[in-house]
Amino acid sequence: MTSVLARVPRWAAMAVLMVLVLGPLYWVTASSFKDREEILRRTPTLVPESLTFDSFRQLFTATDYGTYLTNSFVVALLTAVFTVLVAFLGAYGLYRLRVPGGDKIAGLVLLAYMIPGTLLLVPLYQVFAQLRIVNTHLALILVNVAFAAPFCTWLLRGFFQAIPKEIDEAAAVDGAGPVRTMLSVVLPLMTPGLATIAVYAFVYSWTEFVFASQLLISDDLKTLPIGLSAIMGQYTVNWGLLMAGTFCTMVPAIMPFLFVGRYFIGGLTAGAVK
Amino acid sequence: MARRPRRRQGRGETALGITLVAPLVLLMLVVIGFPLLNTVALSLQNQQVVGTASSFVGLDSYRAVLGDSALWEALRRSGVWLVGNLVVQTVLAFSTALLLTRIGRWSRAARTWILLPWVIPTVAVAVIWQWLTNSNYGILTKVLGWIGLDNVQFFADPTWAMPALIVMNSWHWFPLGAVIIYGALQTVPEEVYEAAKVDGANVWHRFWYITLPLLQPVLFALGLVGTLWSFNIVDSIYLVTRGGPAGSTTTAPVLIYDTAFKAFRASEAAAMSVSAIVLLAILAWLYIRFAKPEEV
Repeated sequence: MTSVLARVPRWAAMAVLMVLVLGPLYWVTASSFKDREEILRRTPTLVPESLTFDSFRQLFTATDYGTYLTNSFVVALLTAVFTVLVAFLGAYGLYRLRVPGGDKIAGLVLLAYMIPGTLLLVPLYQVFAQLRIVNTHLALILVNVAFAAPFCTWLLRGFFQAIPKEIDEAAAVDGAGPVRTMLSVVLPLMTPGLATIAVYAFVYSWTEFVFASQLLISDDLKTLPIGLSAIMGQYTVNWGLLMAGTFCTMVPAIMPFLFVGRYFIGGLTAGAVK
Repeated sequence: MARRPRRRQGRGETALGITLVAPLVLLMLVVIGFPLLNTVALSLQNQQVVGTASSFVGLDSYRAVLGDSALWEALRRSGVWLVGNLVVQTVLAFSTALLLTRIGRWSRAARTWILLPWVIPTVAVAVIWQWLTNSNYGILTKVLGWIGLDNVQFFADPTWAMPALIVMNSWHWFPLGAVIIYGALQTVPEEVYEAAKVDGANVWHRFWYITLPLLQPVLFALGLVGTLWSFNIVDSIYLVTRGGPAGSTTTAPVLIYDTAFKAFRASEAAAMSVSAIVLLAILAWLYIRFAKPEEV
């Protein structure tokens, strides 16, 4: 099995996988730096020859892309902050302290992320209409936090289990109250876990389409998934512009993930195996 | 769980615990629990535009919805969508995970970049695949042209739209399954394989009689969550075909979305939602009843 020949098919399979996974991402990136003529050339060029930023310039000057981008950042950052808050507190209570009925609540949390969100769109819209918060970012943030938090709470379980209970007990012996134990002993040890769920919540919000498409009505409030698809409808033949828009939509999701991806994968697989 | 004697928890800690869990529970009640009940109430009324006044009409909406072929057609398409996604994603995820276990130290980096298609927003996936399959300039169209699939407009053709969407959506989601299965594979002790090898088991035997049974709990959970999540998908479909062409990609959730927000028949949409939830619950129950691994 260790001979060079035996390795060949393995690397061939790996090459196929790379083309399959990274090929489309590369192709978008390459296309967004090509000029109009090159992008429509009969024989496509693998590496952009024209190397221009024209598509990006047009994207930010001729369309509302900048507004959508800002809105997406506002909603995603606030979603991340509140998800981390709610999920950390919830997970601490459920997995670290004893709460009456805690096991049942933990079970409900698991159940909650299997509930099909789309099927709740209609009644939820009605609730928000009654609260008069349709067409606000607040409504979207509430929905995003509520759908991201159960999964994040569950994801934090593995991170909590990695911190020995003895640490809490030692802190108690030293005279720290339960709140101080939580904030100054356990919290600092949870940084990787919190970073992981923050990124998950950010990406969740960044990609959310269904609720955003109905809860936001004004153009100046819309987020990227709605905005980019509107731009697509408007500029169907301007592929350079669309590729630039796609590129700028992908990067903010990919960047934070590259930093916490390792922890995220760790938490995910640990949770799945248990 | 470790079986060490636990320190008795004070009343203060219990109170703190309840306070900490409260926001999570409250949020889930308001955004998930209440609307779930409200769907039932709404389905018994005659609301048109979502959020407007309405009155109680009993089971009228159910009669209208269940008596119309649109919902049944959509459920059939949901079935195709579900099976297609499960098959394509399971094959892709499993082969990727097995490949990852065989590339040694490269697997660490690979696990990160493999997840990229899952990390990027669905709208980006939608634009990318429309560009790849563009009938005049798409690179995939050109490549497929060499093997004789000429002039197929994948997302605009009623026969091709559904398979094309399944491929696109699988590309978006299989990395997650691959990484989870890979994590589970890591927990299978190497000695088990060694022992089997000594006993003369070949690659297939080892996969079939060792890997699969040991992975059963993970595959069971993945199958359940994956099925519910796949069923639920609207964005992948809506962003590319909006349910078309000629309704060929209108799955049940897409139909519900359109009924509520395009046809403005909120109560009928709610009745469809309740029917879909009941159907999903029955399927999930059957799945758990018959597919749950014994040792759990």
